[in-house]
Amino acid sequence: MVLVTINSKEYEAAPDETVLEVCKKNNIFIPTLCHHPSITPYSSCRLCIVEVTQKGWTKLTASCSLPVKEGMIIATNSPHVQNGRKILMELYLARCPTSEQIKELANKLEVQKTRFKTYTDPDNKCILCGLCVRVCNEVMKVKALGFAHRGAKREIAVPFQEFSHVCMTCGACAFVCPTQCINLSKLSPNKPVPLTSDFDAGMAQRGAIYTQFPQAIPNVPVIDKKACMYALNGTCKSCENFCEKDALKHGQEDKEIKVDVGSVIISPGFDTYEPPKGDSYGYRIFPNVLTSIEFERMISSSGPYKGHLARISDGQPPKKIAWLQCVGSRDESCDRQYCSSVCCMYATKEAIIAKEHLPGVDTHIYFMDMRSFGKDFEKYYDRAKDEYEVVYRRCRIPQVEQDRKTKHLSIRYVDDDGALKKESYDMVVLSVGLQPCKDLAEMSKILEVNLNRYGFIETDPFFQVKTSRKGIYASGTVTEPKDIPESVTQASAAAGEAAKDIAALRGTEIIQKVYPDEKNVSNENPRIGVFVCHCGINISGVVDVKKIVAVAQTLPFVVYADDSLYTCSQDSNEKIKEKIKELGLNRIVIASCTPRTHEPLFQDTLREAGLNPHLFEMANIRDQNSWVHKNNPLSATEKAIDAVRMAVAKASDLSPIHHAKIPVVNRALVIGGGISGMQAALSIADQGYETTLVEKESDLGGHLKEIYLGAQGEKPQVLLKQTIEQIMSHPHIQVFTNTVVDHISGYVGNFTTTLLVKKEMSPATIQHGVIIVATGGLPYEPTEYQYNKSKDVLTQTAFEKDLFEEKSYLKNLKEVAMIQCVGSRNEDHPYCSRVCCSEALKNALRFKELNPDATVYVLYRDIRTYGFREDLLYQKARKNGILFIRFEDDHEPEVTLTDGKIMVKTRDTLLRRELHLHPDKLVLSTGIIPQDNTELAQQLKVPLNEDAFYAEAHVKLRPIDFSADGIFLCGLAHSPRFIEESILQAKATGARAATILSKEYLETKGNVARVISRNCVGCQLCVEICPYDAITFDEEKKVVIVNEILCQGCGACCVVCPSGVSQQNTFTKRQIVSMIDAYLE
Amino acid sequence: MTHKVIKVKDNDVVGSANDFLSHLLSSGKIQALLVPQNTPSKKVAFPVLISDPKKLHADIVAPILPVSTAAIVSKMTKVQPPSKPLGVVMRSCQIRALIELVKLNQASLMNIVIIGVDCPGTFPINTYTEFPEKKTPTQFLLEVWTKKSDEAEKYFRSACQVCKDPVPTNADIVLGFYGADIEKEIFVEAHSEVGKNILQELSLEDEKEGKNREKAVKEIRNEKNKKRTVFLKEKEGIKGIDKVSEFFDKCVNCHNCRQACPICYCKECLFDSSVFDAEAYKFLRRAEIKGLFKMPNDALLFQLGRMNHMILSCVECGLCEQACPNTIPLMEVFIPAAENAQKEFDYHPGKDTSEKIPMIVYREDEFLEVGEK
Repeated sequence: MVLVTINSKEYEAAPDETVLEVCKKNNIFIPTLCHHPSITPYSSCRLCIVEVTQKGWTKLTASCSLPVKEGMIIATNSPHVQNGRKILMELYLARCPTSEQIKELANKLEVQKTRFKTYTDPDNKCILCGLCVRVCNEVMKVKALGFAHRGAKREIAVPFQEFSHVCMTCGACAFVCPTQCINLSKLSPNKPVPLTSDFDAGMAQRGAIYTQFPQAIPNVPVIDKKACMYALNGTCKSCENFCEKDALKHGQEDKEIKVDVGSVIISPGFDTYEPPKGDSYGYRIFPNVLTSIEFERMISSSGPYKGHLARISDGQPPKKIAWLQCVGSRDESCDRQYCSSVCCMYATKEAIIAKEHLPGVDTHIYFMDMRSFGKDFEKYYDRAKDEYEVVYRRCRIPQVEQDRKTKHLSIRYVDDDGALKKESYDMVVLSVGLQPCKDLAEMSKILEVNLNRYGFIETDPFFQVKTSRKGIYASGTVTEPKDIPESVTQASAAAGEAAKDIAALRGTEIIQKVYPDEKNVSNENPRIGVFVCHCGINISGVVDVKKIVAVAQTLPFVVYADDSLYTCSQDSNEKIKEKIKELGLNRIVIASCTPRTHEPLFQDTLREAGLNPHLFEMANIRDQNSWVHKNNPLSATEKAIDAVRMAVAKASDLSPIHHAKIPVVNRALVIGGGISGMQAALSIADQGYETTLVEKESDLGGHLKEIYLGAQGEKPQVLLKQTIEQIMSHPHIQVFTNTVVDHISGYVGNFTTTLLVKKEMSPATIQHGVIIVATGGLPYEPTEYQYNKSKDVLTQTAFEKDLFEEKSYLKNLKEVAMIQCVGSRNEDHPYCSRVCCSEALKNALRFKELNPDATVYVLYRDIRTYGFREDLLYQKARKNGILFIRFEDDHEPEVTLTDGKIMVKTRDTLLRRELHLHPDKLVLSTGIIPQDNTELAQQLKVPLNEDAFYAEAHVKLRPIDFSADGIFLCGLAHSPRFIEESILQAKATGARAATILSKEYLETKGNVARVISRNCVGCQLCVEICPYDAITFDEEKKVVIVNEILCQGCGACCVVCPSGVSQQNTFTKRQIVSMIDAYLE
Repeated sequence: MTHKVIKVKDNDVVGSANDFLSHLLSSGKIQALLVPQNTPSKKVAFPVLISDPKKLHADIVAPILPVSTAAIVSKMTKVQPPSKPLGVVMRSCQIRALIELVKLNQASLMNIVIIGVDCPGTFPINTYTEFPEKKTPTQFLLEVWTKKSDEAEKYFRSACQVCKDPVPTNADIVLGFYGADIEKEIFVEAHSEVGKNILQELSLEDEKEGKNREKAVKEIRNEKNKKRTVFLKEKEGIKGIDKVSEFFDKCVNCHNCRQACPICYCKECLFDSSVFDAEAYKFLRRAEIKGLFKMPNDALLFQLGRMNHMILSCVECGLCEQACPNTIPLMEVFIPAAENAQKEFDYHPGKDTSEKIPMIVYREDEFLEVGEK
C-alpha cells in the first residue's frame, strides 16, 4: 500500500493503481473522454490532467497513465488544472460544435463557448481519441479499425476505405465512442441486429449481459452466450473490469443435475399466439398494430415506454384504439379451436388502463362473445361499459388496413343493424390467445406424459392436476388456458397431490441449524456497531458513505463503524460476527437497503454470533434515499446521516425479544359434505392429518347427486360413489352427518368448535387447527318463463336426469328450446353462473344423440364455453345442427302458454326480427345462487362479497384463503364453477391447510403489540381498528388482550391508544421518542 | 316530542323548576337525581346526587360548571350502570362530552335519563364565588334574561361566549328557557321515548306557543354561531412553532387541564408515564448541541400531544381553560384546532353515539391532497 495526498486528504492506494483509478474509487471527479477501464490508458484527450507535486516539482500531467507513488501530492481541481481543462474543452467545442456529449461536458466544466474557429467539417463529432481503434485492437483483437491520414486530415477509417472483412459487427467501437459518432454501416457489410428484451416483447434493447426481468428470481444477470463476444470467439471480457466482486464466471458450462424426487409438478406456463407476418391484420408490417402483450409492456410504468401510450409510427398519443378479440383463439384456420379464456378480461382491463393513462381516448373492443365468467368479472365488464365508456362491438374483424401516409388503421365491421361500416384508428391491439409453450412437446416426451389434441398436457377430466403418468402433476396454463386465480388454485392443488405421494417422508431431509446460546446483554451498556453499505454503487454513487461512517463514529454508544461494498455478502456478514466477538458489540445497526428483504439475513447473523436477533436496527439509505434522491447527493447524504443517527438512538433502547411458540392442533375441520368438502377432507387426510367432515344433511354428496352426465362421457355418479367410499373408509376422517356448526372460537392452530348433531342432545366439541369452508351453493328456483305452470317447462337439472334415464318421451319430441341466463346476469343476480352455457350444450348434444331428428334452439346472450369447451361443446353443437338464437339484454324472450302449448317469442339479433317458436319442451338454464352464508360468516369473522358468496383474501394471489389465518374456502361457497374446478379448489385448500397442520407450533412475530393491562381503560379503539381481529376485550377484567399469533405487527393499535398502553415490541414509545430526539438534535 | 310547560310561581324560576324535579323524584320514575346544587356555604354549586326529594334545593340556572358532569356520569356508570333510572341534569356541552365518552366505552347510557337545560353560559368559578354585583349570580342572570340585555356577557367564560350550541340535543327531557316568558313558565320537552313516558305521568300543562321556542332557539344558535365565526377569524393567526411556543410560554406542565377535560379518559396519561424520562446524557447532549435547553422539556410536547389525542372529540366546554392556574387562554387554540380537525374528517363530536371516532374509520377519500390523488 502506498499513501498519497489528494486535495489535502490522505488516501491509501495499491502500488499498481493509477491516480485516476484512486480518484474514481474515492468518488473524486475527474473528467475523461479517452479512458475506458478495459483499455490501456492512452493519455490522448488530456482532460484528466491533475497537478502533481513530487520531489519538489509541480506539474500538470494526465492522471490516467500516472501510477501512484508514495508521498505523491495531487490536486484535482486547482485553478491551474481548471484552466487547462477549460482550454481543452474549448478546443473540443471548436472541433465538434454539434456533439451533444461534448457540449454537455463543456457545460459541466463551465465552458459556454469556444474562442477557436471550427477548422474541420462542422458536423464532425470525432475527437480522434482512438478508443474505437484501441477497443477493436486490444479487446476484440480484430484490428478492423485504424487511423488514416495525418494532421488536420487524420480520421478513423477501415483499410482502403472499404468494408472491413474482419469486422465482426460486434459494435464495441460504437459502444465505447464518447461522442457516439461511429456509424457501423460504413465499417461493415453486415447489418447489426440489436438484442431485444423478450420481457419487453422486443420493444426495448438489452445488452449481452442482462437481467431477464425486474422481478426475476434469482435476480442476477445472465450472460447471453449467443451474443457474448467472449463466448463466441474468446475476446472482450471487458465486463470483468467492472465487477468489483469478481462475480463473473465466463467458463460456466450447462450442467446436468440429478435429483431424486418422489413427485414432479410441470408448470412451464404458456406462449402467446404470434400472428404470422403478412396476415390480414398487418402485424409487424403496420407499425401501429400491436399484440396485447406489446400493449401491456407499453402501458407498464417500468416498461420501455415508461407507461406513456404512444403510436409506434410517430410517438403521438393515440386518440382511438381498437382491440380485436380472438386472434389465435376460437379459430380453426390457425388450428386453435379452443377459447383462451382470458382475452376478454385483459382487453377490458387494457381499455380501462388506456383511459386512465390518456383521459379522453376512445377504446373499442371487437368481440364475438363476452366471456366474463369469473368471480366478479361481470361487474368489471359492466363498469368498463358504464363508468369508463369502453365501446363493445360484436363483430369478428377479418382485416386491418393502413393509410400509407398517416399510418392510421381502418377496420370494417357490421353494426347491430346489419350495416357495413368503416372506422379509423390510431392503434389496433390484437388480443392474442394462449398456446402451449414452445418446448412442451419435447418436455412431454422426456417426462412421458400425454398431450391432448390441442397440444396441452392431458389431465384427468375430474382431477385436472393428474397427468397420464402417476406421480407427475401439472398446474397452470400448461393444462388449459386460464386466468391467474385458477392457475394459483391449481398450483396449490398440484402441490397438495405431490405432497401426498411423499407424505410419509415429510421433514426427513431437513437439517436443523444450531445457534450458539444467546448472550445475556441486559446488564451491559449498549455497545453499538454500525455497518454502512455501498450496495455496489447503488448507495455510494449518490450518498457519501465515508461521511456517514465518520458521523456514526461520534454517536453515543457507537464502538465501531465501518463501510463495506455489499453488507449482505457472506464475507461482510462474517466480518460483522467477528466484530461482535472481538469488540463485544451488543447492538447492531446496518445502514443499507430495506428490512423487507434483508432483515432476516442480518438477524440470522446476529443469532450466529450469539446475540438476540432483535438487538438489530436497520436504516434504509437506499430505497428511501439514494434511489429517490439521485440528483441531490448532498441532501441525500444529510438524510442518510439523520437516518443513521435515529437508528443508533433507537438501537441503544433495544432489548431482546423472545418469540412465543404456540402448539398447533393437527386436525382440520371441513364444513360441508359435497364434492368440494369431501375432496378437501381426502386431500388433508391423505397427507396424514386427522380430519372432521361435517354435513348438515343426512348423507354426503351435496349437489353432485343431481349431476348425471359429463361433457366428455365422464360419469359424475361414479365419482360421487367412489368419493363417498373413500371418505367412509378413511382412517383419518371422522364424518358427522345431520350436523351443523354451533359455535367457533379460537384462532389459527387452535380452534374449538361445538357441533350440534340433530336428534342428539349433547353437542360435540372438537379442537382443530384449520377450517375449510365448503358449504356449497344453491340452484336458482325460477319464477319466470311459466315454470311450475306447465310440466313442459323444466330446468336443465331435471332434463339431464331424464336424458340420463333415457326417458321414452325424449324420442317423440320434435322441438326443444333452451333459454340461457335464467337467474344470472340480471338485477337480482348480477353475476354469471359460469356453468349454464356448457351444461345446456352438454344436454343438447346428448339429446341430439338420442333424437337426431329433433330441432334444438338455444336462446342466449353470450355463449361462454371457455377453454376446450369451446371446441368440445360449442363448435360440436353447431356442427350437429343445434340452432343458436341470440337475444339482447333488454329483449328477454317471452313465454306464453295457450291451451298448455308453449310459445316462445324472441327477437333474433342476427335476423333482426321477432321469431315465434313452439317447442314441445322448454328447458331453463338456471344459475347458481349462494347459500345463506351470513351466520357462519359471522362466526368465522370472514367477509362475503356483494353477491353473498364468501370473499377470499385476494382475488388473484390468495384465491382460496380467507384474510383470517387458518380458514380456507372451496367450491360453490366461493363462486359458481364446474365439478372439476371445485375439486381443484378443494385439493388446493388441502395443500394450504397443510402449511399450518405440518407445523408442531406457530411462532409469534417479534414486532407484535403488547398491552400494559394495568393502564388499559377499556376504550376498545384498538379492538375496532385491528385489521387482523387480533385484539379482544376481556369483559371480566375490562382490559384488552392481544393474540400474539394473529397479530401481524402493523402498529395500528399503538396509534389509536392515547395512553400508550398498546405498544409494539420493536417500536416502543421510548424508542420512537429517542429517534425523534436524535433527529431533532 | 312532547311539549309541556312548568308554571312559574311567584316569579321563582329556580323554585318552580325544583318543584318539578322534586315531583319527578318522588314519582319513583327515577331513583336519584344528579343536579347542580349550592354547597351549604352557598358559595358554589356542584353536581349533587340526591335521592331524598326533601333535600332537593337545586339551582339549575346557576351559571357555573365547576367540574365535568359527563366525567361524573362516566365514573358512575363505567364499572356497572345503575339498575334503575337515574336523572342527570346537564348542560349541552356536557351531554356532548357524555356521548363521546359512551363511544369510547367510558360511560353507559343504560338507565341514564338525561335532563338537558338551556344554558346561557357560565362564569369562571372565582367570578361566581366572589360575584361583584349585589345579587346572587343566579338572580343576576335571570334578571338580565328577562330584560334581554347582554350585561352578563362580560362575566361569561370565553368558551361560553362562543358556545357551539347552548340548546341541549340528545337529552331525554329538555328544560327550556329560550323563547319562554320565564316570569310565567319554562318549557319541558320530551325528546325520547323514555322522556315521553316520564312526562306522561306528571301532570303538566301543554305548551301553547311552540313557534316562539323554535324561533328563539334558532336565534340564539345563529347569534352564538356568528360570535364563534368572529372568534375563529380572530384567532386564526396562532400558527407555526414560534407563535404556538409563545402561546404556551406560561405552561408549568401541571397537567391540570388534562384533569379537568371530560374527554381525557386515560388511566395513566402518556405524559405522566416514564416514556419521556431519559438518561442524563441525552439532556446534556441536547444542551451541548444547542448551547441551552429549556426545562421542563416536555411542556409543549404535552400540550400538543394532548391536543392530538383529544381534539377530534373536543366539545369546547372550556374546562381546561378554567383549570389553568396561569390563565392561559387555551380556547383560543383549542376551538380553532377542533373546528379544523373535525371539519377535516366531517366529524361531529357529541352528535350521535353511532358516529364512529375518525381514528378507527378508514375512508378512501380522506386527505386526498396528501400523496397521489
